[in-house]
Amino acid sequence: MEQTDQLILDTAYRLFSDHCGAEVVNQAEIGEPPKTLCDAVMAAGLPLAWVPEKAGGVGGSLALGFNLIRQAASFAVPVPLVDTMIANLVLAESGLEMADTWAALVFDGGQLPVVDNGTVTGVVNNAPGVVSGSLLVVPVSDRGLVRVATFAFDNLAIEECESLAGESRARVTLEGASPVQLSPVVDGMTEDGLRQFCALARASQIAGAFEKITALTVGYVKERQQFGRPLGKFQAIQHKVADIAGESALANAAIEQAIRMLSEHPEPFSGDNVAFLPVATAKVVTSEGAATVSRLAHQSHGAMGFSFEYPLQQYSRRIWSWREEYGSEFYWSERIGMSMANDICHGRAEGGQVWDIVSR
Amino acid sequence: MDSIRFNFPAPVIDESVDRLRKDVRSFLQEEIRNGTFRPGTDCWCAGIDPEFSRKLGQNGWIGVTWPKQYGGRELSALHRYVITEELLVAGAPVHAHWIADRQSGPLILARGSEEMKQTILPRIAAGECFVALGLSEPESGSDLASVRTRAHRVEGGWEITGTKLWSSGAQSCQYMTVLARTGERNEKKRHEGLTQFLVPLDSPGVTVRGIRDMSGVEHFNESHFEQVFVADDAVLGAVGEGWKQITSELALERSGPERFLSTFVALEKAIQQGAASMEGHQARVIGSILARIRALRAMSLGVAALLGQGQSPDVEAALVKDLGTRLEQDIIERLREFWPIQLKQSFGDELQYLLSDSLLRQPSFTLRGGTNEVLKGIVARGMGLR
Ligand SMILES: Cc1cc2nc3c(=O)[nH]c(=O)nc-3n(C[C@H](O)[C@H](O)[C@H](O)COP(=O)(O)OP(=O)(O)OC[C@H]3O[C@@H](n4cnc5c(N)ncnc54)[C@H](O)[C@@H]3O)c2cc1C
Repeated sequence: MEQTDQLILDTAYRLFSDHCGAEVVNQAEIGEPPKTLCDAVMAAGLPLAWVPEKAGGVGGSLALGFNLIRQAASFAVPVPLVDTMIANLVLAESGLEMADTWAALVFDGGQLPVVDNGTVTGVVNNAPGVVSGSLLVVPVSDRGLVRVATFAFDNLAIEECESLAGESRARVTLEGASPVQLSPVVDGMTEDGLRQFCALARASQIAGAFEKITALTVGYVKERQQFGRPLGKFQAIQHKVADIAGESALANAAIEQAIRMLSEHPEPFSGDNVAFLPVATAKVVTSEGAATVSRLAHQSHGAMGFSFEYPLQQYSRRIWSWREEYGSEFYWSERIGMSMANDICHGRAEGGQVWDIVSR
Repeated sequence: MDSIRFNFPAPVIDESVDRLRKDVRSFLQEEIRNGTFRPGTDCWCAGIDPEFSRKLGQNGWIGVTWPKQYGGRELSALHRYVITEELLVAGAPVHAHWIADRQSGPLILARGSEEMKQTILPRIAAGECFVALGLSEPESGSDLASVRTRAHRVEGGWEITGTKLWSSGAQSCQYMTVLARTGERNEKKRHEGLTQFLVPLDSPGVTVRGIRDMSGVEHFNESHFEQVFVADDAVLGAVGEGWKQITSELALERSGPERFLSTFVALEKAIQQGAASMEGHQARVIGSILARIRALRAMSLGVAALLGQGQSPDVEAALVKDLGTRLEQDIIERLREFWPIQLKQSFGDELQYLLSDSLLRQPSFTLRGGTNEVLKGIVARGMGLR
């Protein structure tokens, strides 16, 4: 990563440390909206991390953005930062104008709404980050090619709901809706490319949450005493912590590899074969790890971890919802298996070897 | 502590690495075609073939990172990594030289006398000299500091007496690195007073007896040392520094590709066989295994990169081995759903042969080189719990 990237991450880290404590996260869900945090995130320009400088953004690398996403997740940041970052990048890629508000990519990994004669029809069941007043960025299919349409929040039929962790999710229904802006076909952007990009964002979030869960658990078992010593002195607990650390390390290795690959990719939304395997790997490994990590962390915490006040639940609930989004471990592992089988059957691996593809 | 972040830097793969991989691959494919070896599972432990090791030495694929003056080629750790993983996935019989290439050679390079470096390293690199590890004993396994093998000072050298157990491949080795007690045992300072020796196995007083393992292979050994004399310069490193030396050796040993690829040959065959009829559930199982292998490989390469930067990623290395060895076992358990494992005989069915042999060998994966319980202890210590 470049030096300026690190500066932005450091700034964000301080900002989250100052304004996104556990209490803020809990209140965001059941009480006060996090106004100070919202303002600070906006003022720091974080939602524009991926927008090129000439379009008024920060011009950060893809690696910066994914690292920022991982970091935000390690604070359970309860504002639609990730959603707006992705929506803004999609706007930039499609040559449309950015909004200076929150924005949301109205896409849940399912089928794209269809554009016909300038109007859009379709339903997106689980669109993340749709909040009142946000700009809605809708990737649409024009006979199989991707274009991007934007809508104002008030002009669409929106059923608001919440993820398991209280993050905003919405069912968005478009019935011959007329967009504010409609891009031409976006070069190098496909439906699967969008799915992969968003899957990697969720994988990065899960990895960020794993880090925090590891830290919370280590901290807790060092403090909490039973039978006259800290829980962390008991081998049964030590082994649980080691297993959490293992899943966390593996998740990081997987997402870092995928991020490196996507950073070097000329078309990060293309969803081609080069991008597929590293991204699918990252989503499988993180989503699979979520069960182990949450189970062991909760077990190590006892009843305290089950309380709303203690922050562990902010992270376990998030990883339970993130692991399902943009394809669970079941979805992506089936695709890896099928794609491997196809490559082997069609002679796309050197010497017909699975290893040739695994080691690429 | 605010967050605990594991970092795994990218390996720098240049053209020379790719070329080396291609060379090793095509050599191995040729050898398999010629019937030089039959691909086997857990080949870095179960496949002993000194002749094959010599061939690899002649090709310049052993000790590649060592200085040229000692028979090496001064290539990077990544070059070595690529050679080893290609050998593993081909199921090549590499055990004879594996330990010497992986750890005894580097140990001699770091701690050995000039004489040792000049006489032994070139022979290791040539695939003609093999070294066994003499750590475990009948009464010392995980608690290695309790070894009872003793070395006494005598005129001109040392006299060693004791028993080493489970030493892999010792029957085909010329040397063994023996961990022995040289100072009085002190319960408060258990790790002091231990010294490593490089003992020629043809010394008078040494007997090596093969032990058949549950898979039917005679690959590990019991070795007796009865007042075995070794000269002063058989001391590896410093007298009394043995513990420190073996712990840094173990970090090198733990994060390599042999910690997650031992059963890959079986998986490779299974996928090739199942590809044409692959469907939903089977694809999910296979895909999930492949994802985990890829992630572990990224992690293992990252540890190699950290080692290359001069860091000591003990925790990360222990994690690779803990996760990787469990995966090696898990692969076989999950493939059973589609290919039940029942008979000893495979009637020419390569996949059945690989699966049953993997199953019969897999209890050892999570034991050798430090058990997974010991590894988790290292992780816990690294996180400040011990
Ligand atoms: C295939 C194979 C090859 C080997 N090759 C070599 C070799 O070349 N050279 C060599 O020196 N050794 C070799 N070994 C031996 C190996 O290093 C030992 O098996 C290992 O260190 C464990 O020691 P042990 O078998 O005595 O088990 P023990 O130490 O007796 O352990 C038995 C069980 O108890 C657990 N345990 C022990 N202590 C604790 C504790 N404090 N807390 C929790 N659990 C504990 C262990 O994890 C294990 O599950 C080899 C072993 C195998 C299987």
